[in-house]
Amino acid sequence: MVLDLTMSMAILALMGALATIAGCLEDLESDVGSQSNPNSQVQLAPQMNFLHRIYNKAISGEPISNGLSAVVGGVVATVLLDAKFFPLAAIAIGAFIAAMIHGIFSTTAYAGRVASQTRFKQPLYMDIMRYTTPSIIAHNFIVCFCLVAIAYVQYVILGYPFTIPFLALIWGISVGAIGSSVGDVHYGAEREFQNREFGCGLNTSLSGRIVRKAESGLRNSIDNVWFCAKFGGPATGIGLGLTVFLSSWPTTIFGYTVRAIIAGLVIVAVMVVLNRLIELQAKNAYGPYKEDKNEKEAAA
Amino acid sequence: MISLFDPVILMDILLIAISGTLICAAVHFIPVGGAPAAMAQATGIGTGTVELAAGSGLVGLITASYMYAKEPTITMGLVLAAGAMGSMIMLASTMLAGGLVYSFGVGVPFASAQVKRDPITGGRQDTYVSKGTQGQGIPTVCFVSGVIGAALGGIGGALIYYVLMGIYSPLITSSAAAVAGVFTMGVFYVNSVIPSYGVGGTIEGFHDPKFRRVLPKDVATSFVVSLICGLVAVLIAGGMV
Repeated sequence: MVLDLTMSMAILALMGALATIAGCLEDLESDVGSQSNPNSQVQLAPQMNFLHRIYNKAISGEPISNGLSAVVGGVVATVLLDAKFFPLAAIAIGAFIAAMIHGIFSTTAYAGRVASQTRFKQPLYMDIMRYTTPSIIAHNFIVCFCLVAIAYVQYVILGYPFTIPFLALIWGISVGAIGSSVGDVHYGAEREFQNREFGCGLNTSLSGRIVRKAESGLRNSIDNVWFCAKFGGPATGIGLGLTVFLSSWPTTIFGYTVRAIIAGLVIVAVMVVLNRLIELQAKNAYGPYKEDKNEKEAAA
Repeated sequence: MISLFDPVILMDILLIAISGTLICAAVHFIPVGGAPAAMAQATGIGTGTVELAAGSGLVGLITASYMYAKEPTITMGLVLAAGAMGSMIMLASTMLAGGLVYSFGVGVPFASAQVKRDPITGGRQDTYVSKGTQGQGIPTVCFVSGVIGAALGGIGGALIYYVLMGIYSPLITSSAAAVAGVFTMGVFYVNSVIPSYGVGGTIEGFHDPKFRRVLPKDVATSFVVSLICGLVAVLIAGGMV
């Protein structure tokens, strides 16, 4: 399909918006189900006598589990598109089936993981499984819907050489990688250890000693996703949104030329500077933790 | 019919081996902190080597393949540059968003535990490392190292795709991109896993002493493995009619 610049930018903006939602919801899905690296603390807690009411799924690494979900959604959507379904219906049904399969994996993973902790007396709370699993499925549905929609736009409208399932797989892996790198830090380093003073750093000896009391009552995964939705999720959305938007923006504006590559390099250089500014802000706000030996001696 | 002894095919196999080696080298540049980094207990990005290298490299693969599809007569250099660009933007966006969380969500200053001063900015690192950790956040040197790694990974992935498209396109016109894409993804994963044994889960980037220690062995291993991958990539073309 041949598009003028305005339509190309509109499509790009749509993809960026879809990616932002997908990124945000992917991180929240991993928080509500407790997956990826921070789940190591949830897994470790019973061994430290910290029994908890947090969902513990960790089907696999986030990129792989999200890649699987997205590719299932993409395959089903492709089959339905071939059967002359409306694109929106095909994508929605594909995402629904993928989310249901994800839900099945979640329950088996949760039951399996808790069963392996019998010797540490960690109970399997059926009420937690009953009301957290639908939330996991709902989050995953939105992620799959957005990713398959991006793949559809790229394949049908923009004419990418890869098929919808393959594009969905790649974006599923990417969203998992970004969610695992960005939003999980908010869950793992802040929410799980919220009883520590903000900005104090997190000693390794605290491993497994996660917070188990909520704002009201005992903490569960729904409390965690409520907290992470305030910052970790949106930050992940920004990460994927920027990736999708900025990786296509240079070629949309400058065509398939050297100028597009130079524009991409400039974007990366700007990000290096932005990161430096954040680094300076953080250092001024929280550190240093130790006194410089030379300064100490000079002061003495 | 493709002959293994054709000099062009031999060159293609060599290029795939070089691409795989580039991807393997790229992983060493990317500052991955694994699970400890997700708890702000180690410097780098809070995920594993394989996830991150593959995630960024595959975005590079998308941009490179699109460039190649839109301009089939385009030079190899531009396809590789497009791969590097996509990959760099993905990793830079991830590190930037991760930096936001470390700074505003967790509240830790960025610090490398491997060097006393940042080789790029000259800023002190050791005094900012909190007690009982191996550093935290993504200092400038790690960010720059990660961007370099992403560029190498993107170039590697794009080069494999470009070479395979050259082999498969005359044989299976419509499906060539799919087969080349899936094979590139496979080579990506193989070469992301090899360094993860060497780096042992965490590495800060080119300034980390581990970088010099493990890079030669990993690169040599990767070259041999990628050579086999290249051979297989050509052999499967024998069944394409």
